[in-house]
Amino acid sequence: MRLLRYIAGRLVVYLLVIVFGLTILFFVPRLGPTDPVEAMLAKVAAQGAYMDASQVDRLRESLADTFGLNGTLLEQYWAFIKRILLTGDFGPSLSMYPTPVMELILNALPWTFGLLLTSTLIAWVLGNFVGLLAGWRPESNAAKAMEGVAIFLYPIPYYILALVLSILFSYVWQIFPLTTTIRGAPWSWDLISSIVWNSILPAASIVIVVFGWWVISVKAQTSQLKDEEFIRYARLKGLSQTRILTRYVLPNAILPQITFLALQIGLMFNGSLITEILFDYPGLGLLIYTAVLQGDFNLLMGTISLSVIAVATATMVIDLIYPLIDPRIRHR
Amino acid sequence: MIALENAVVGYGPDKAFIAAVDDVTITIGDNEIVGIAGESGCGKSTLLRALYGDFTHGLRQRGGEINARFTDAGTGTTVEKRGANLSELWWDQISYVPQGSMSVLNPLMKVDKQIIDGLPKREKHGSRADLRKRIANFLKGLGLEESVLEAYPHQLSGGMRQRVLVAIAAFVNPRLILADEPTTALDVVVQKRILLMMVEIQRRLKNTLVLVSHDLGVHYQITDRLAIAYAGKIVEIGPTQKIFAAPSHPYTQALIAALPRVGEKGQRSGLEGRPPSLVKPPQGCRFAARCPEAQDICRAQSPELKMRSADRPVACHFR
Repeated sequence: MRLLRYIAGRLVVYLLVIVFGLTILFFVPRLGPTDPVEAMLAKVAAQGAYMDASQVDRLRESLADTFGLNGTLLEQYWAFIKRILLTGDFGPSLSMYPTPVMELILNALPWTFGLLLTSTLIAWVLGNFVGLLAGWRPESNAAKAMEGVAIFLYPIPYYILALVLSILFSYVWQIFPLTTTIRGAPWSWDLISSIVWNSILPAASIVIVVFGWWVISVKAQTSQLKDEEFIRYARLKGLSQTRILTRYVLPNAILPQITFLALQIGLMFNGSLITEILFDYPGLGLLIYTAVLQGDFNLLMGTISLSVIAVATATMVIDLIYPLIDPRIRHR
Repeated sequence: MIALENAVVGYGPDKAFIAAVDDVTITIGDNEIVGIAGESGCGKSTLLRALYGDFTHGLRQRGGEINARFTDAGTGTTVEKRGANLSELWWDQISYVPQGSMSVLNPLMKVDKQIIDGLPKREKHGSRADLRKRIANFLKGLGLEESVLEAYPHQLSGGMRQRVLVAIAAFVNPRLILADEPTTALDVVVQKRILLMMVEIQRRLKNTLVLVSHDLGVHYQITDRLAIAYAGKIVEIGPTQKIFAAPSHPYTQALIAALPRVGEKGQRSGLEGRPPSLVKPPQGCRFAARCPEAQDICRAQSPELKMRSADRPVACHFR
């Protein structure tokens, strides 16, 4: 009963956060001086089309209708929220008219998600493993070496690292492709291997940069835990080092890391702008980039709404699963 | 049986060694409750760590002997260990009760798992369900509900947590239990209950309990013998009742004299001054500076802990 109340309360907060985010998203562009309808009319006029006043009025009306700009602000707002929450319809893309925004997003999503999920998970597992050992046995040479690598790589600006990787492995040694080109029939082995082959370099660039952060944060956790009384007690119980590490240190050190991981996964819906531009990778980041460059309002609204929803969902998922992994939350 | 013989235990390198336990000799026999009392910094916790063989975090033995000999209650076999090798007997022949602060148990592990974790093989026989049943019965015998097993540490009150810690150490069925200030953070009602529980366990297991506390009241209630520590030395050992009835060493006398009595009006007088630094201890008797009976010999020569009567070793030139 208490659990149900907790979940219900959490769902309400979740919906409120999304509606709040979408509200900001709705009003901010309308506070700006640009009117998309007038901008479009100007574009049409600039292309040299001749229209008389009634034609212009009719075009203005139909454009306003297409863009969802009819009626009062409140009516527009209500229609906007209803449309997104109930149908997930963001309208057609303006730059790739008339392809629906949703279709563009759905095409880009698997790319971004496949790339970022894989590289984030690899970096998470690797980073936590190394950081845990480095924190537990700071005097061991292997831990020192791995930690040294992580600390060396961590502060390198991402775009420099990615650029260097790209130059070295695609241009100088020409091992990996410079831009992403996928070949092969749908669902064939060729296609899969081509995707993997094209993703190795972008994935590696992300892993290398993010890895260091996980190492440093879990190491700090671990060295703090080492002085905890329950670790000392476990040692005085005569438990083996491995057992203390796996049953006492690891579960306690990993808790905050799980929170960060879930947030990272939520942020994935922003795509990874620099990665996707540098490696010409057809993901969400590239889509947002295009939307900004082309002034494609619908596409921009669509991608950002999705990102708001994704982060809110990730936060809610953490809140829902956290009681399962931390008993101290459960009984409050 | 566990014995220290002229043991010197402390911290730091040889050149700057700080002997928190300095030339201490004490024998703790089987089937008795021994208390170690003294003020903060007198070395009583270090003494306990030495008895446990916990030579980590910079603690080391620099001289003397630490010997233990235990006869297994079940098999009747005898094991002997010295110094740091005592750690081979942890959670087997020796167990330990820490002060039950909030963070002494793993916050992510249920109590039953924390009892089972570290148990010696001889207590682990049978199926998991069987083991759990035995633990539950054991807890019930100590007045703890079975539901405690399913609890996480944060769900227990301070007194409950301390009783769980005592139960964890006792379920091992060891020959020696060392307890470090087990009741210090608790109110007197809970304190009493835990002390009685510890006595009950000792009577049942017929093993040895060593209890470190600065609270003389605790020692008065449960210990058979009492050792008084002062500035890294033991100044007096004897049957608890006799020490309270007739303290011999001037320091012990001052301690007992400072205890309030029920119905008393006014304030008791304490001792002037403070214990000497262990970094550079005085050459003679360490209590000389505060002792009302001090003479020249006290400042020149350190008194040995010698038998002054049948069961009362005292370290004082004038006893």
